[in-house]
Amino acid sequence: MNGFNADGFNADGFNAARLLEHKAGVAGAAILAVAALVAVVAPLLIPADALDVTRVTDPPWQAPGAGHWLGTDHTGRSIALLMVQGAGTSLFVGLTAAVLAVAIGALVGVVSGHFGGLLAGALLRVTDFFLVLPALVLAIALSTVLPRGLSTIVLAIGLTSWPSTARVVRAQTLTIEARPFVERARALGGGHGHVIARHVMPSVVPLVLVNATLAVASAIVAESTLAFLGLGDPTRISWGALLHQAQLHGAVPQRAWWFLLPPGAAIVVVVLAFTLVGRALEAVVTPKR
Amino acid sequence: MRVKLCALLATAATLGLATPPATAEGPDILKVAIVQQIDSMNPFLAVFQSSTEIGRLMYDYLTAYAADDQRVTEGLANRWEPSADKLTWTFTVPKGKAWSDGEPITAQDVAFTYNLMLTNEVARTANGSFVTNFSSVTATDNQTVVIKTKAPQVTMLALDIPIVPKHVWEKVGDIKDYANDQMPVVGSGPFVLTEHVPGQFIKLRVNNTYWRGAAKIDELHFVYFQNSDAAVQALGKGEVHLVNRMTPAQFDSLRDKADVARNKAQGRRFTELLINPGAQTNAGEPIGDGNPALKDVRVRRAIAQAIDLDALLQRVSLGYAEKGAGLVPPVFGKWHWQPSPSEERKFDPAAANAALDAAGFPRKADGTRFSLRLTGRAGRAYDEQASEFLKRQLGDIGIPLDVRLVSDNQLNEVTTAATYDLAFSGWATNIDPDFVLGLHTCAQRPGADGKGGTTDAYFCDKTYDELYARQLSEFDEGKRVEIVKQMQARFYDQVPSVVLAYDNALEAYRSDRFARFTTQPAQGGVIMAQNGMWGYYGAEPVVRATSATSWVGWGVLLVGFMAVVLTVMVRTNRRQATAEERE
Repeated sequence: MNGFNADGFNADGFNAARLLEHKAGVAGAAILAVAALVAVVAPLLIPADALDVTRVTDPPWQAPGAGHWLGTDHTGRSIALLMVQGAGTSLFVGLTAAVLAVAIGALVGVVSGHFGGLLAGALLRVTDFFLVLPALVLAIALSTVLPRGLSTIVLAIGLTSWPSTARVVRAQTLTIEARPFVERARALGGGHGHVIARHVMPSVVPLVLVNATLAVASAIVAESTLAFLGLGDPTRISWGALLHQAQLHGAVPQRAWWFLLPPGAAIVVVVLAFTLVGRALEAVVTPKR
Repeated sequence: MRVKLCALLATAATLGLATPPATAEGPDILKVAIVQQIDSMNPFLAVFQSSTEIGRLMYDYLTAYAADDQRVTEGLANRWEPSADKLTWTFTVPKGKAWSDGEPITAQDVAFTYNLMLTNEVARTANGSFVTNFSSVTATDNQTVVIKTKAPQVTMLALDIPIVPKHVWEKVGDIKDYANDQMPVVGSGPFVLTEHVPGQFIKLRVNNTYWRGAAKIDELHFVYFQNSDAAVQALGKGEVHLVNRMTPAQFDSLRDKADVARNKAQGRRFTELLINPGAQTNAGEPIGDGNPALKDVRVRRAIAQAIDLDALLQRVSLGYAEKGAGLVPPVFGKWHWQPSPSEERKFDPAAANAALDAAGFPRKADGTRFSLRLTGRAGRAYDEQASEFLKRQLGDIGIPLDVRLVSDNQLNEVTTAATYDLAFSGWATNIDPDFVLGLHTCAQRPGADGKGGTTDAYFCDKTYDELYARQLSEFDEGKRVEIVKQMQARFYDQVPSVVLAYDNALEAYRSDRFARFTTQPAQGGVIMAQNGMWGYYGAEPVVRATSATSWVGWGVLLVGFMAVVLTVMVRTNRRQATAEERE
């Protein structure tokens, strides 16, 4: 963390050129761009009837072929269209849950790092509490109790995955606050608001950004897990929900690999892409690591 | 390295297990896959379907239901006679029937069982409803039981109570804690329980003293599976011989499988869509928050008319069901009611639209009339898919649905607290329709605390209740059938719920090991989950081929084992090689 201030964001700002040096990161970003484009544009192009189980006319359980190049599901809907439609939900839940988690984590981290004392003690105990709770179990419990829906899933994932971010951000806050320039700012009469906004935040934000990118990856996996277990929003199509339906409606005894494989592969690819981008960002932000 | 070796040996062991069992000469064993757990082997406490099914194999009832047409037939008693006022019933338990330990079965055993239930509240846990109307049960001699009832009771020949041996059970101190696991368990049924490892297997052997004659198989094993997918896979491999409760997809996947025969049977279950008719407690206080528009019977009829039952049947049940009508499924022949063409509500969205307009619910500017919540169970394939159809079909008549698929417990809460507009539900029915009809009487509505009744749909209708009381004391079966049909017609007309479908029971068995099973009823009947034990009792093993196959089995095993040994040796060598290279 030593060279952080001098070489990282504060001195040069965000240096895009340095990110481009990381080829894997660029590849990840390219995959994400394609996924985002598909998620945004494709639903506008899919005819409404194509995914309506009451309107489709194709036979169910068709193997991939000329008509449907990823086959059809148990109701005769095209898997390829379902995949495209599901991308939006998976990415949306992943992103919002990650933003929620990182926001909570950053807030708790900065506040506990900056103010210290009793408040920090209390916040840290809460963090520890959430850290030792098995996140998946807690998320399952939450999404069982709360009414079904996208917001529940986002909340369940967000509320269970913030503690690690809080820890990292707190550590960074403590490092920054120990610096002489923060002491000088205080001596010159800078209040809490000034120190946090002008000195702590600028060096915490890049870290938070990296954390958020990596958190998206785990949030997408969490969403898929919950949806697969049947705890997702049952009225929406996501990749996890597709796996759930495949399992529920008997893709295994039907040996319909084309119903199980594409959603699984899509989750792996997108999660990998987020991880690659996150790692590249991390390397840029902390070059000496 | 050692760990690796162990792992490999473990793999070898499992591989050995996975090879088809050698069909050497030995006992004929029928292995049945079960998914549901056993709550108790104590027949006074067992309520799960799985437990009562095994109870039927261990203990006979006073009367039984014939395999071919489900009429009442000889159980432990072979003759019965009601008095003129229908308050006194005399049953005759003939000589010559014996418990599995050789003791004779007498009227004393019957009287002991019923009196235990009359005097001990715990003994009434599972089947108490059958004896609440009894005033006394006495064995006047070893062959005669006299039962006196407080009021005439039509279900006297449908007392589904396992009769237990007095000489064993009179020594039992506390029914509540008695697990009934003194193996082999003394019983009167075609099989004797010999071993039970919870969560793994249940073993029974044939009862050679069974009064109908010993079954054709020697042993009957129930093997537990985590889910039905695994059970179906095991059937395909021949590890089990009989599987039931399959999903349509699983059933379809076995269509062309060699050595597997499928049985598509009429089931005892129906699936329904509850329509909250303005739920009230038994005191008439409103309860829950159902949409007030649904209190109007014209609205409920319009909703029922807008549901395309045929589409649900074909697309959701994949054809493995029958179109819904009355409360009693068609498997119970004479009690089943079908609307006449003039009574039938045909699928007609236009008529439904017109009816809603006439009822005073015109479409608003956005094309909707009012919105409703549809509650179902998440993870139940039918609910997840049918809700999409209902959403579309009711949307077409201007009623947008807010679909809420929730957990089992939440669904229970919602339906008991009446906080639903529309909800999926379903019941399994008995041969005697009294139970399923009784669910819809005013008296079954709960009290203010939400307890004290098991109403299904919060239905409360004077006409229906009067008919219910009449059928309860109608001993002429022809007349009672007529009343029961009138009740179903009234229910259909008032639509507190729409019976969507009668689900088929989907079963399959290994036809290379078992030639046939006795189904109940004979036409389109089930093998498992019968009102009786005929399916297992009538199982006929295939006549054995020569024992040549067993050599093939051992050969496969030997080759497999050698391959594993070889792999271990090769791997050990390679590991050494790399270890040397590393150094």
